[in-house]
Amino acid sequence: MSVTTEKAARAAAETETIVNYWPAYWTMIALFVFYVCVRIYEQYFGWYAGLDSFDPLFQKYWLSIMWIELPLEFIAFCGIGGYMWKTRDRNIDRVGPREEMRRILVLIGWLAIYAFTVYWGASYFTEQDGTWHQTVIRDTDFTPSHILEFYLSYPIYIIAGWGGFMYARTRVPMFAKRISLAYLMFWAGPFMIFPNIGLNEWGHTFWFMEELFTAPLHWGFVFFGWFALAVFGVAIQIFDRVIELSKEYEKDVSALV
Amino acid sequence: MSISTETGAPAGKAWKSKEEFLGCVILTDWILLVVLFAVLLGSFHIHYMLLAGDWDFWIDFKDRRMWPTVAPIVAMCFAAAAQSFLWTKLRLPIGATTVTLALLIGEWINRYDNFWGWTFFPINLVTPSALIPMGFWLDIVLLLSGSWLITALIGGLGWGLLFYPINWPWLAQFHQAAEVDGVLLTLADLIGFNSVRTGTPEYIRMIERGTLRTFGKDVVPVAAFFAGFISMLVYFLWWKIGAWFSTTRYLESDEI
Repeated sequence: MSVTTEKAARAAAETETIVNYWPAYWTMIALFVFYVCVRIYEQYFGWYAGLDSFDPLFQKYWLSIMWIELPLEFIAFCGIGGYMWKTRDRNIDRVGPREEMRRILVLIGWLAIYAFTVYWGASYFTEQDGTWHQTVIRDTDFTPSHILEFYLSYPIYIIAGWGGFMYARTRVPMFAKRISLAYLMFWAGPFMIFPNIGLNEWGHTFWFMEELFTAPLHWGFVFFGWFALAVFGVAIQIFDRVIELSKEYEKDVSALV
Repeated sequence: MSISTETGAPAGKAWKSKEEFLGCVILTDWILLVVLFAVLLGSFHIHYMLLAGDWDFWIDFKDRRMWPTVAPIVAMCFAAAAQSFLWTKLRLPIGATTVTLALLIGEWINRYDNFWGWTFFPINLVTPSALIPMGFWLDIVLLLSGSWLITALIGGLGWGLLFYPINWPWLAQFHQAAEVDGVLLTLADLIGFNSVRTGTPEYIRMIERGTLRTFGKDVVPVAAFFAGFISMLVYFLWWKIGAWFSTTRYLESDEI
């Protein structure tokens, strides 16, 4: 990086407030609007073109979505990871307390986006998948609800979690110098739900006519979902570091409670 | 390149002023609480729907034997884990209430927007099980006893025993007997038969199986007591799992 660019970065940082959650808020608002649009699309085209995978309308209105979303998600995953790594802080030992605190707050914004997308993927679209498949006989692995659940909402939370994880690994000293076991599990466990789709779809090729949502075939999702509980450890690690960086204000915090 | 910068605060300090610190910390605490809530909602919901979902989805699955056995046992996992974290680390006796509230919010959104809104089932057919009073109970036992051992034994047993009674006020009406074309069945059965789920044929409905039915009216207490017993054991295990997921351990790069 040139000296000029570095000076510009410092000048920008001088005017910057330490906390700015608006990028996270706007991202979540945009995702909310996007998912509402997705839901409206489902409402109409699920029944209109989503019942028979051999119907040309199914190819047009559903499979085409999958062929578009999967490459885009792969590019986004690689792009975010690559950008974070390429622009990593190579002098992580020289990060001062205020800059470290600012980066921790940015990371919390990433965690908020991750949590928001986990809700949509694990709660909203997964249970929605239950009502669709227990209602409508499936004749393909790539059903309307799967195309939007497994291949859209899951990759989106994986990408959001990956962005936060890579941000922490490349910019936040406490996570960059060593690898947080909790953070690793918090991202990698829910990520493993995506490969587990392979087991799910393989199994459904045997049992596609009857749907018990509690069938053992689905328990892989449960197991990997448990790893989201590692948010506990991540939260504690962040609390510990914020307390360390704010020692001079301990008595002010005590006065609040 | 370096993007390390440190400006705007006294050398070696994170904050410009006390006001900046307090404002930021209070806001960030709220955001972290929302993060915790949303993550618990998502992970608890996927756990619950895939281990107890069928009984929780449909009114005609809510029987006297399987539903009061499976649902409380499965729900206990996250209640215990959340209590383990929130009580041990933050001294907050709200873990069980928080996760049951989170789950119910996720379920109600789904039942209205998807079960009713997308696949057009009546809400009566797809009402989720009530769990929040059980969360109150477990948190109160922990708060009063301050002991996870007592919470496991007293709270766990009560957790299983409470499940059916707290659901009974809204469920009783659906267990009214009805006679249709000479066949005796419950109102819940009738709603189920009239709301065809093509992917879930009647013959895979897991209700009231086995000879336990010969206990007659005593089926529910037996099932509830069994659920309480297993909930105790599940509480022990998941308290430890919650503690394990609260780890602050770091790995060195050569460990992975």
